[in-house]
Amino acid sequence: MTMPRIGFAGMTHLGLVSAAGAAEKGFAVVAFDPGPGTAAALARGKFSVLEPELPELVQRNAPRLRFTAELSDLADCDVVYVAPDVPTDDLGQSDLAPLCRLLDSIEGALSDRAVTVILSQVPPAFTRGRWRADRALYYQVETLVFGRAVERTLNPERFIIGCADPAAPLPAAYGDYLARYGCPVLPMRFESAELAKISINMCLVASVSVANMMAELCERIGADWAEIMPSLRLDRRIGAYAYLSPGLGIAGGNLERDIATVFRLAERSGSDVGTAHAWVANSRHRRRWPLRLLHETVLSRDANAAIAVLGLAYKEDTASTKNSPALALLADLSPFAVRVYDPAVAASPEWHPNLAQAPSALAACEGVQAVAIMTPWREFRDIDPRALARRMAGNTVLDPYRMLDAAGCRAAGLEYATLGVT
Amino acid sequence: MVMLVNPTSKNTARTVVLGARGFIGGALTRRLEAEGASVLALGSGDIDLAAPEATERLVARLKPGDTVVFCACLTPDRGRDLATMMRNLAMGRNVAEAMVTAAVDYIVYLSSDAVYADDTARIASDTKAEPGTLYGAMHLAREVMLKASVKAPLGILRATLVYGTADTHNSYGPNRFRRMAEKDGKITLSGGGEEMRDHITISDLVEIVLRMLRQKTRGTLLGATGRSASFAEVAQLVATQFTPRAEIVNLPRQNPITHRHFDVTSTLAAFPEIAFTTLGVGIARVHAELLERR
Repeated sequence: MTMPRIGFAGMTHLGLVSAAGAAEKGFAVVAFDPGPGTAAALARGKFSVLEPELPELVQRNAPRLRFTAELSDLADCDVVYVAPDVPTDDLGQSDLAPLCRLLDSIEGALSDRAVTVILSQVPPAFTRGRWRADRALYYQVETLVFGRAVERTLNPERFIIGCADPAAPLPAAYGDYLARYGCPVLPMRFESAELAKISINMCLVASVSVANMMAELCERIGADWAEIMPSLRLDRRIGAYAYLSPGLGIAGGNLERDIATVFRLAERSGSDVGTAHAWVANSRHRRRWPLRLLHETVLSRDANAAIAVLGLAYKEDTASTKNSPALALLADLSPFAVRVYDPAVAASPEWHPNLAQAPSALAACEGVQAVAIMTPWREFRDIDPRALARRMAGNTVLDPYRMLDAAGCRAAGLEYATLGVT
Repeated sequence: MVMLVNPTSKNTARTVVLGARGFIGGALTRRLEAEGASVLALGSGDIDLAAPEATERLVARLKPGDTVVFCACLTPDRGRDLATMMRNLAMGRNVAEAMVTAAVDYIVYLSSDAVYADDTARIASDTKAEPGTLYGAMHLAREVMLKASVKAPLGILRATLVYGTADTHNSYGPNRFRRMAEKDGKITLSGGGEEMRDHITISDLVEIVLRMLRQKTRGTLLGATGRSASFAEVAQLVATQFTPRAEIVNLPRQNPITHRHFDVTSTLAAFPEIAFTTLGVGIARVHAELLERR
């Protein structure tokens, strides 16, 4: 059997990780991006995305992975994935224009037998709108997780495939490619696949909303959510990988986009989505946990307080600050001096009128009354509470993600607060 | 949703206080005057805001660039009936019409947490108003009147239970408990006094208004501290001010227990340096001030 040749159009985080994953599975891969210099930079090993293990994955598969800016290089591909970023605005609305442009431009370059697969997330009805009887078009659900993208692309739980007709067999090349991953393949109609992706995200939001709601109750009644969590994970109806870690609301943009899509679909159809409105309200409420605590411990007592904010990205291992709780906190702290540190994000003066960026976490804490660890970067685990206490002028430490050892902090004389426990 | 029109603090040219002889309007007026601010204090003796000629008379007193704080209101102790509501609505209409004619710069409307349903246990700035009383419906109607007709930026402050030395309203809470203790040596509570409520001192409420005036805060804020205590705790705190300590008597409960908590995060986001007086300190302060006055 000849192995199908796989193309990827759009060297985004999703496109690049997926292309490298396909090469790792032994396929010859053409990785196309029309952006000036993008393909050339990737060929030199220069990545604009931050993803653990990705550079090694690309390097190891270099012989099978051809980066190109030439559309015609996709001509001999059997299956071409289209994976540009679909940007969202502040209301969670998707801008599908870049995706449509890329689909239009590759259409003429592909052979008649080629299968086109949309890998970017699209709202329900989009794929049906692009489908034509004379071209093989599919929509494949992506479940990229920033920071764990390599592992997930090499070992997917399943493939969810949106089809014009789910009863018809998949084209051989596409079927062979998917089979290589050794996981279940679930063909379904386009609309189901598009809504499956949204359904997955709604389940994640629901779990994390339960965690956030119960964590606050724990804080108020003297329970500890960290003690409760393992008992939920051992419950088969909930599961070991459930999203149960409490956080500062929903961030990153993807979950917000899907909630916005659910609201739009429901407005048009009259469905009841009151539950999702409650998730959003709870998310907004929990996002302000650091402000409420800082107000109580420092801001209401010291008008000249300086605050250190460690971490600006919306989560670790990414430079994305989309809906980041850290930025929300900065906006709320405008009368106070703020010192920030993030290993991947450069602070922007637009975020705060009195902002200083420090070269390290400890340097940011020099002389401050309070420290808020707003992103769970791994390196923050190495902060020595005694060194922190020596650097700070005050002693308030907000550590929502439990990066530091609570007992060690208290032993060092720090007032330590985290999510889910008093 | 709170928006700052003018994020840099500065005092406005002149503040006109409507309802300046009342508990809240009076405290605000005294505080503004103590700061040396220019104030026009108007009480019902100056202009009867419910009278048909009120709009004209108010317009005659206003200057372009004025800031107006609208505190004038007949509170439930002055009547819970339709006639009281209609007088309050007439005031609302007249003031709104005067605001349209006069080129005022900014308006603060002092509203009430009565705009929320009585059984709402947790109130945040985005909680939907759903008044269950004429008084609450009146405040909501006045808010809507001002929003619909006035072009100047509008800040609405929905105040919860306010207490302080000059309070005359005698509603169930710290002020009435103190009067009971002083008069009879005992405080009577409905049931065990289990209901949780948020009590804000008049000086803290005035602090919020002052910040709104400085920053021209638009939108709806909550006049609350974010910390609720049971009436039993309030009664204990009041009782301990007296020597001998006042007795607390529990009478059979007439109404089911309801609680009320406020999430004041949007106030903290707008004014992160604001500090609220704790209930113990506030009650002790009122007691000391009243003793001093004797």
